[in-house]
Amino acid sequence: MNKLPTSDDSDAVFDARALRKIYQTGEVDVVALGGVDLTLNAGELVCLLGASGSGKSTLLNILGGLDTPTSGSLFYKGWPLDGSDENTLTLFRRNCVGFVFQFYNLIPSLTARENVALITSISRDPMTPEEALEMVGLSERMDHFPSQLSGGEQQRVAIARAIAKRPEVLLCDEPTGALDVTTGIVVLEAVERINRELGTLTVIITHNAIMSEMADRVLHLSDGKIISSHRNATRLPAAQLKW
Amino acid sequence: MLSPLDRKLLRDLAKMKGQIFAVSLVMACGLAMMIMTRSLILTLESARASYYQSHAMADIFATLKRAPLSVADALSTLPGVASVETRVAVNVTLDLPGITEPATGHIISLPDDGGPQVLNRVSLRSGRFPLPDERREVVLGESFAIENGLHPGDSLVAVINGRRETLRICGIGLSPEFVFEARAGETLPNHKRFSVMWMNYRALAVAYNLDGAFNDVCIDLAPGAQPEPVIEEMDRILAPYGAGGALTRKEQASAQRLDDELRVLHSLSVAYPLVFLSVAAFMVNAVLARIVRLQREQIAQMKALGYSSRQVGVHYLKFVMVIGALGTFMGGIGGRWLGGGLVSLYTMFFRFPSLVFTMDYSALGLALFISLGASTLGVLTVVWQAVKLAPAEAMRPEPPADFKPSLFERIGLTRWFSPTFRMALRNIERRPWQAIFTAAGLALATGLMVLPGAMSDSIDYLLTFQWNKQQRQDVTVFLTEPTSASGLYDLEHLPGVIRAEPIRSVAARLKFGHRHRKLSVTGIEQGANLNRLLDSKGQALVMPEEGLLMSEALAKVLGARIGDEVTVEVLEGRRPVLSVPIRGLVTDYAGLAAYMNLGALRRLMKEGDTVNGAHLALDHGRWDEFMRSLKDTPRAAVVMVKRDQLAAFRETTGKSIGIIRTLYFVLATIVAFGVVYNSARIALSERSRELATLRVVGFRLSEVRGVLVSELAILVLASLPFGLLFGRGLALFIMSSFSTETVRLPILINRSTYAIAILVVLAASTLSFTLVSRMLGKLDMVGVLKARD
Repeated sequence: MNKLPTSDDSDAVFDARALRKIYQTGEVDVVALGGVDLTLNAGELVCLLGASGSGKSTLLNILGGLDTPTSGSLFYKGWPLDGSDENTLTLFRRNCVGFVFQFYNLIPSLTARENVALITSISRDPMTPEEALEMVGLSERMDHFPSQLSGGEQQRVAIARAIAKRPEVLLCDEPTGALDVTTGIVVLEAVERINRELGTLTVIITHNAIMSEMADRVLHLSDGKIISSHRNATRLPAAQLKW
Repeated sequence: MLSPLDRKLLRDLAKMKGQIFAVSLVMACGLAMMIMTRSLILTLESARASYYQSHAMADIFATLKRAPLSVADALSTLPGVASVETRVAVNVTLDLPGITEPATGHIISLPDDGGPQVLNRVSLRSGRFPLPDERREVVLGESFAIENGLHPGDSLVAVINGRRETLRICGIGLSPEFVFEARAGETLPNHKRFSVMWMNYRALAVAYNLDGAFNDVCIDLAPGAQPEPVIEEMDRILAPYGAGGALTRKEQASAQRLDDELRVLHSLSVAYPLVFLSVAAFMVNAVLARIVRLQREQIAQMKALGYSSRQVGVHYLKFVMVIGALGTFMGGIGGRWLGGGLVSLYTMFFRFPSLVFTMDYSALGLALFISLGASTLGVLTVVWQAVKLAPAEAMRPEPPADFKPSLFERIGLTRWFSPTFRMALRNIERRPWQAIFTAAGLALATGLMVLPGAMSDSIDYLLTFQWNKQQRQDVTVFLTEPTSASGLYDLEHLPGVIRAEPIRSVAARLKFGHRHRKLSVTGIEQGANLNRLLDSKGQALVMPEEGLLMSEALAKVLGARIGDEVTVEVLEGRRPVLSVPIRGLVTDYAGLAAYMNLGALRRLMKEGDTVNGAHLALDHGRWDEFMRSLKDTPRAAVVMVKRDQLAAFRETTGKSIGIIRTLYFVLATIVAFGVVYNSARIALSERSRELATLRVVGFRLSEVRGVLVSELAILVLASLPFGLLFGRGLALFIMSSFSTETVRLPILINRSTYAIAILVVLAASTLSFTLVSRMLGKLDMVGVLKARD
C-alpha cells in the first residue's frame, strides 16, 4: 500500500470522470455504467438511489476496488485506481475501504470480536476490536457467535468490522435490506455515528428514498447514469427516519 | 422426453462434472480391480476345467521305484478306479548348444504304438508325436521350447542314464499335469532350465532297466468315487515297489500351485476393492450432502409446487445412480482392459492350450449392485433430511451456522491460534461427522498406498533372505537315485568345487494329531553352512543331535509347536516309524520342509553314507569348466544353478508382482487425489461466501487460500497416522492371504513404504489444493456476497 497516498490536501476522496462499465454476457453487451462523472468528498454521507439495474451497485463496487471500469478515469485522493492490478486493489481494500453488505457476511465460525479481529490483524493502523464494537453499541455481545446475534446485531458487527481499520471510505450496499424498521434504524445510527465521529466518507446504496434524508447528498442513478444530484440543507438524524 | 427434474439433474451434473468424474473414477478403480480379479478367476477356472476335462487330467498320482506292468491290473480292479495309466518318468540332464549350464528334462513315456495316452494327454502345439518304435524322438514342453528357441526338427543332447543321447524334437506339447511347469519340489518356474518331455516307452524303459515295468502311475476315479480309500489301497499295493505314497490331484504340484493362485485371486477380489468402494461411498456422501445443502431452496420450491417427498428423494438419489452407473461403466472397461493385459502375466506361470480372457459379466452386475448399494446407503440420511424439510422452512435462508469455541480453545490454547486456524478447528468440530467421513476417506486412501509398497518390501527381503542369507551354494545337484558316498565324492571332485555338502532326503509322512502331510525329511550335516536353516530373524539355526527342525508353515499346518512330538512315517526303504520332538522352527518361503541330523537320519534308515545329491560352492573362475564336467556326470539328474533361479525369479514372480504393484500404486494414487480434490471442491463451494468476504475486506489471495487449505490440511494430517495403521493392517491381511503351503511372502513393511504413502498423499493433496486454489482466484466476490445463502 506504500504506493497509495494516505492523505491529500484537497477534500476530494474520489474523483470519477466518464466512468463506464460494460459487461459482456454472451453476445450481448450490457452497459452497467454509461459515463459517470462524480466527486465524493471526505466526511460526506452520500445516498445512491435507483431502481434495480440502475448501476448503483456497479458504481459502488468500482469505487471499492471490487471491480474495474471498462473506461474512464477514477482517482482515489489523486491516485489512479482505474487500471490498477489485483494486488494494488487488494491493498486498497485492506487499508482504505470498509464494506457493509445486505447479508452481513460474517464468518459464522468466529465470534463478533474475532470477526473484527480478522481485519484488525491485517490492517495498518486499526482500532481494537473492542473499540470498534463499542462504536456500534455491541460491547456486551462481543463473544457471541453470529448465530447467537439478531440480524441487526450481526449487521452492526459487520459495520464494526468495516470501520475497525479506520477506513477513509465506508461503502454500504443496502445495509438495512434484510432488516425490519426498528433494527434498520439502529444500524443506520451506527453508520451515522461512524460518519460523524470518524469523518469517514460514507456511501449508502438504498431502494428506500426516506433514508436519503439522513444524507448530505443524494444521487439518483438510472440506466447507468447519474440523473440527478441534490444536497440536503440539513441532515435528519437516523433516529428520526420513519418508513 | 426428459422430465424437467431430469433436465435439472443433467444440468446440475454438468456443472459439477469435475467432482462427479473424481468420485466415479475412485469407484471405477475399485470396480475395475474387482472385475479384473473376478474375470481372471473365471478365466483361469474355466480354462482349467476344460483343459482337465478334455485332456483327462488324472485324479491320483504316484511314483515308485519299479513295478511290473502286471501290478497295473491289480490297481485297475480297485473299487472306484476308472482307468490306470502306467508310465516311466525320469529326470535327465540336458545339454543345450551354446549354454554353459546344464538344464533338466523330466521325460515321461508315451504309449509305444503311437496311440493316445489314457490320462494326462499331451496337447500337441506343433509337429507330431514320435513315430511308433522311434527311439530318439521327443515332444518338448512348450515353455522351454519358446525360452530356448527350439522347434520341431531341432535336436538336443540328453544324458540318459549316463549316456549322451541326441534327441530329435518331433513336436511341441503341453500337458494338464504341467500347467505349472517346474522341477519337482521347486515352487517357481524356470522355463529356461527345465522342460517336461515325452518319448516312446520302450526307448526310455530300456535305458533305465524298466522294460516291462513302470515307475509312475496315474489313476482316474470313477464318477463319485472318493480318492482316500483308493489311495490307501494303492499305497498298500505299491509299497513293496518303493512307492512314496500316492497324491491326490489337490496335492499334485502343478494343480496345487494353480489352486493357490486362485485362492490369492479370490482374496484380492474382495478386500482391496472393498476399500476403494468404501472411499467412493464416503465421497458420494460428501458430494450429495453438499448438493442438498446448496439446493435447500430449490427443494422447498419443488415441494411448494407440489412434488412429493418421494419424487424429490428419488431426484437426489438419481445423482447417486448416475455416479454409480458411470463408475461401473468406467470400472467395467478398466477391469476388462487390465484383466486382458494381466492374462499374459499368467502365461508366464501357467500354460494352457488356450488362455483367453473371459469377462465375468456377473461381476459387472455385482459391481453395479455393490457400488449403487454402498453409495445409496451413504446418502440415505442426507436425502431424508432434504425431503423432510417443510417448504416454508426451507425457503427461508438457513440461519447462521451454530458455532462454539473448539475443544482446543476451551482447554485454554486459544492464544496460540490465529483467527483463520480457529475457523478451521471450529468448522471441523461443528460438523464432526463430515470431518470424520472426510478423514476416513483420506485414511483409507492413505492405507491403500501401503500394500503396493509392502509387496516390494516383501520381494526385496525375500531376495536377500533366500538368495544371500539362506542359500550360499552356487549349485545344487540331485542324483538319479540315492547312492553311496561315492556319489558325493564324484561331485566333490568336479573341477572348481570348493566345498560340497551332502543332501540326504527321504519321503515321509509327518503326523500330529489328526493332521498329516507328505514331504521330504532332509538330513543336515552338523556344521553345514551352504544351504542354511534360518530363524525368523535371519539367524542360522544349529541342527540338534536329535529331533526335528521344521518350516514354521509346516508347524502351522500340523498345529504343532516346539517341544511337541510328531510321528514320522518314512515312506522309503524299511519304512521306519518314529516319534520325534520338534526342536526348532525354520523360516522359509516355499514349500513345507522338515530336517533331521544327517547322522540320525542315516541311523534311522540303517544305511551308510547314502546321498541324494549335494550343495556345491564353486570357484567362479572355473565355472565353465565345472559346468562342462557336470553335463557329463552320468548320475546327475537335476541341476539347480542359484543365479539362474534368481534370474528366473526376477523374470517371472518379480516381474509379475512388480506389474501388479505398479497397478495398485497407480489406482491408490488416483484415489488419494480424488478424495482430497473432492473434499477441497466441497470446502470451496461451502465456504465461498466466507472466502469472498475475506477477499473483499482485503485478504490477499494467498491468505484466503491458507484459510481454505488449513481445514483440509488438518484433516489430511490427522488422517495420516490412522491411514498408515489401517494400511498396515490391510497389507498384512492381504499379504498373509497370499501365503500358501507352496509359496509364502515375508510379511514386513519398511519405513520407506510408510514414507512414500505419506509423500504421495501429500503430493496428491498439494495438487488438489493447487487446482482448487486456481478456482478460488476466479471466485466472483460480489456475486457470492450478494447471493443469499
